[in-house]
Amino acid sequence: MKRPFKKVLIANRGEIALRIIRGCHEMGMKAVAVYSEADRESLHVYRADEAYNIGPAPAEQSYLDTETIIETAKKAGCDAIHPGYGFLAESADFAQRCLDEGIVFIGPGPEAMRAMGDKTLARKKVSKAGVPTIPGINRGLNSVESMKNCAREIGYPVLIKAALGGGGKGMRVCNNEDDLNASYELCKKEAQSSFGSPKLYLEKYIDKPRHIEFQILADDYGNTIHLGERECSIQRRHQKLIEESPSTAIDERLRSEMGEAAVAAAKSVGYTNAGTIEFLLDGDKNFYFLEMNTRLQVEHPVTEMITGIDLVGEQFRIAKGMKMMLDQKKIRINGHSIECRIYAEDPESDFMPSCGKIEILREPAGPWVRVDSGVYQGYEVAVYYDPIIAKLIVWAEDRMTAINRMHRALSEYIITGIKTTIDFHRSVMKDERFRRGDINTHFIDETERRDRKYTSTEKKAAAIVAALFYHENNQERVDDKALNRISPWKLAGRRESLD
Amino acid sequence: MNDGIKRLHQLREKSKEGGGKERIKRQHDAGKLTASERIELLLDPDTFQEFDAYVTHRIHDFGMEKRKILGDGVVTGWGKINGRPTYVFSQDFTAFGGTLSMAHAEKICKIMDMALKGGIPIIGLNDSGGARIQEGVVSLAGYAEVFWRNVQASGVIPQISAVMGPCAGGAVYSPALTDFVFMVNKTSYMFITGPDVVRAVTHEDVSFDGLGGARVHAEKSGVAHFIADSDEECIDEIRRFFDYLPLNNMEDPPRIRSTDDAERMDEELNHIVPENPNQPYEMKEIIERVFDRESFLEVQRLYAQNIIVGFARLDGRVVGIVAQQPSVLAGCLDIDASIKGARFVRFCDAFNIPIIVFEDVPGFLPGISQEHGGIIKHGAKLLYALCEATVPRITVITRKSYGGAYCVLSSKQIRGDLNFAWPSAEIAVMGPEGAINIIYRREIASSKNPEKMREELVEEYRKKFANPYVAAARGYIDDVIEPKETRPKLIKGLELIENKRDKLPPKKHGNIPL
Repeated sequence: MKRPFKKVLIANRGEIALRIIRGCHEMGMKAVAVYSEADRESLHVYRADEAYNIGPAPAEQSYLDTETIIETAKKAGCDAIHPGYGFLAESADFAQRCLDEGIVFIGPGPEAMRAMGDKTLARKKVSKAGVPTIPGINRGLNSVESMKNCAREIGYPVLIKAALGGGGKGMRVCNNEDDLNASYELCKKEAQSSFGSPKLYLEKYIDKPRHIEFQILADDYGNTIHLGERECSIQRRHQKLIEESPSTAIDERLRSEMGEAAVAAAKSVGYTNAGTIEFLLDGDKNFYFLEMNTRLQVEHPVTEMITGIDLVGEQFRIAKGMKMMLDQKKIRINGHSIECRIYAEDPESDFMPSCGKIEILREPAGPWVRVDSGVYQGYEVAVYYDPIIAKLIVWAEDRMTAINRMHRALSEYIITGIKTTIDFHRSVMKDERFRRGDINTHFIDETERRDRKYTSTEKKAAAIVAALFYHENNQERVDDKALNRISPWKLAGRRESLD
Repeated sequence: MNDGIKRLHQLREKSKEGGGKERIKRQHDAGKLTASERIELLLDPDTFQEFDAYVTHRIHDFGMEKRKILGDGVVTGWGKINGRPTYVFSQDFTAFGGTLSMAHAEKICKIMDMALKGGIPIIGLNDSGGARIQEGVVSLAGYAEVFWRNVQASGVIPQISAVMGPCAGGAVYSPALTDFVFMVNKTSYMFITGPDVVRAVTHEDVSFDGLGGARVHAEKSGVAHFIADSDEECIDEIRRFFDYLPLNNMEDPPRIRSTDDAERMDEELNHIVPENPNQPYEMKEIIERVFDRESFLEVQRLYAQNIIVGFARLDGRVVGIVAQQPSVLAGCLDIDASIKGARFVRFCDAFNIPIIVFEDVPGFLPGISQEHGGIIKHGAKLLYALCEATVPRITVITRKSYGGAYCVLSSKQIRGDLNFAWPSAEIAVMGPEGAINIIYRREIASSKNPEKMREELVEEYRKKFANPYVAAARGYIDDVIEPKETRPKLIKGLELIENKRDKLPPKKHGNIPL
């Protein structure tokens, strides 16, 4: 069924909204931004063709407010909505609302989302399709007692997750019953606040796995393909920091094996559009289906870089009901790509969010460097949303060259006014274990936080800069023009008194 | 390099030599810097622009036609101090002893004229043997030209003099006519007639330093406003001082972004004034605590110490302070204090600097020497100066405000803009003891126990009149404030009256009792 659309509302903000706006413009479509009070000055507002205020800063009252967004789409004459990632991206109800309102939802159908959104259900389905899953409890868990019983059944350590969640929010590892007691309520609360349901899910915790995910694309005509894997093992608190493709742990045979499993998993729920199947890969190269992200991923650019496929463009085409021109045999993995997420966080103080005004912003450039940024110099980073401000992506013919290129690009990247993860990424690019590809999801915890050693020249330079800065800013200057304007009233009086 | 440019370079080099290496060494040995070295220290690096480096004298007698030195004993030009422009001349003692010839005077006059036209201050660094004798009366004409310009520029642009060597005879009058005089201990002196003449005429034996050294002028004559122990220190002081001055009488002094909190309250202020009204305290402590941290720059620190005058900043704005010092002569006004205060007030008024008065004055100093010395006409100077001042004025009465001194010190009736009193203020026609002795003279005399009665009456009077509320009830005081609130009150008050417009009736000039 053809579903042509020409004007897309982007129900999101920040860098991903920018990415989608660009996609729209490249395909000759109008892009409509929505923004909360806190985002009045955000970049996506300026870059869109139209922008509408949808409420106050808290996401529940703006970016998660289905009614207002649908209303805005209608008011603006949008015939499609792209949800980006996060917010309403994995809300089957929202997808259903769009369907009911005759607005094209750029993503999978609500049934597939529902099937994959409930982890328990998802696991059952894919397991039936022959995809290996993590030993876990495929039952709903309603009390701390039932949770304990289940944990005993599969054996500690266990991982509690939000049944409807993803992205690490609401997740906790429990090594024993005490941990479980302590975590249960917290997880429930987080699940409720982040995903709108307190339902939890429990599974065997696999120690030191790699996080490998497969990008899939599926159209309305039964064509489902995968675009290779992404290695997302560099995480902290289950939030990804660095992604790359291909993974050093995966050879051609394993890739096609896992790829086929991913395709099977997607097919098992009749999935369409772009999606991601997440696997855990243990030390013995056993892989387990973790979950499916029924949306565009933050890290989609690395796949774009190595396959040359515009994922947002493909999303649009599939959503329009067009048949995919791609088939699995045509997909070629070419070279290596790495993405570093630039967060407004302070790695020195346990990645605490760092808000404030971006005083200076200089973005890297040069061959095979891509910056997907949602901010600009002078922009005020607020506390309300995910602290990701940009993604830096590089491509090179091989992994080592890509790492060196990433290091070079990070060295050009200057953001002052707030703390960011730029320097942290630089140190990872220089880390021997990372360079060897010897990584797992505990990489950051295991890597001793080595403070970068500064050379004496660097120290001297820093001291000079600091002294100059202090001098410039704290000098009680007598030639401060702004402070020394005389009121015309006073001047007139002065002239009068000379007459 | 072509010949023309080469010649220019040679001349430039030559002009820098002044009176030659030997004389420069002698200058250094005397603990003094050369004219150029002083300018270099005074101005921001690389900002000095010299004029008239190739000027020479035109004397044809006494063999002078063969002795010419480029610049003729004075370096002139302009540059910047902390980014703000100033003209400067610096006499070169190594060239003809820095003596003033017509050519030398013309160089000074040129920049004085430019300074006056441009509305830019002028700083003179004096180090001169006096008139160029070989030139005769022409040299005197040169002096007179300079004096005349000093007076034309007075009240239009700030004029600062530093005496950094000899300055004798008529030469003293140029610094004397300027607004502020700096002197250097041991190496500078100023007098009209030197020790030899003094000895011959009055048979008094006195040294150069004892007659007109920096210390003498700072403490006794009040001729010097600032003294320093070395050329370097003196020039540093001028640089600091310059930041408090406007460029001319149409501009404000520069305001800076203060790093001191405008709302800062100082609890200590509540405890400075002693309970006992006759006990002294240190007024400068109040000043240090109220004004922007470390901004107080005292003028004539050693002269007439019973009155304090100086500049400070309030939230970055320059103000002039006039305050009594209860720890010297109980803060009484005498001849010297009146003159010191009056001249300072007139400078502030001429150059748009608001005046803040801190008042604790029991009255004018009694005594024969004061009366015979003319305290009447000298005290009138301070009264005149404050009555005449149209700049914003705020008065804070910390304790005593008795008698004529109440009127003089910027009372509301002589158009003080804002008058505050601390709760410790005593505003009355005279102190309790004096008042009781007059009002109840007969009653006390006829009493059985006069002492006891006097004490009781004094106590009663003190309770009734020695407070700020009688004046406040009349509106003579705008507000009674807690001492710790003084800083925020002054800052807010100043902001309020900053743009005040006021004018005197048109006149050629007033007739201040001189």
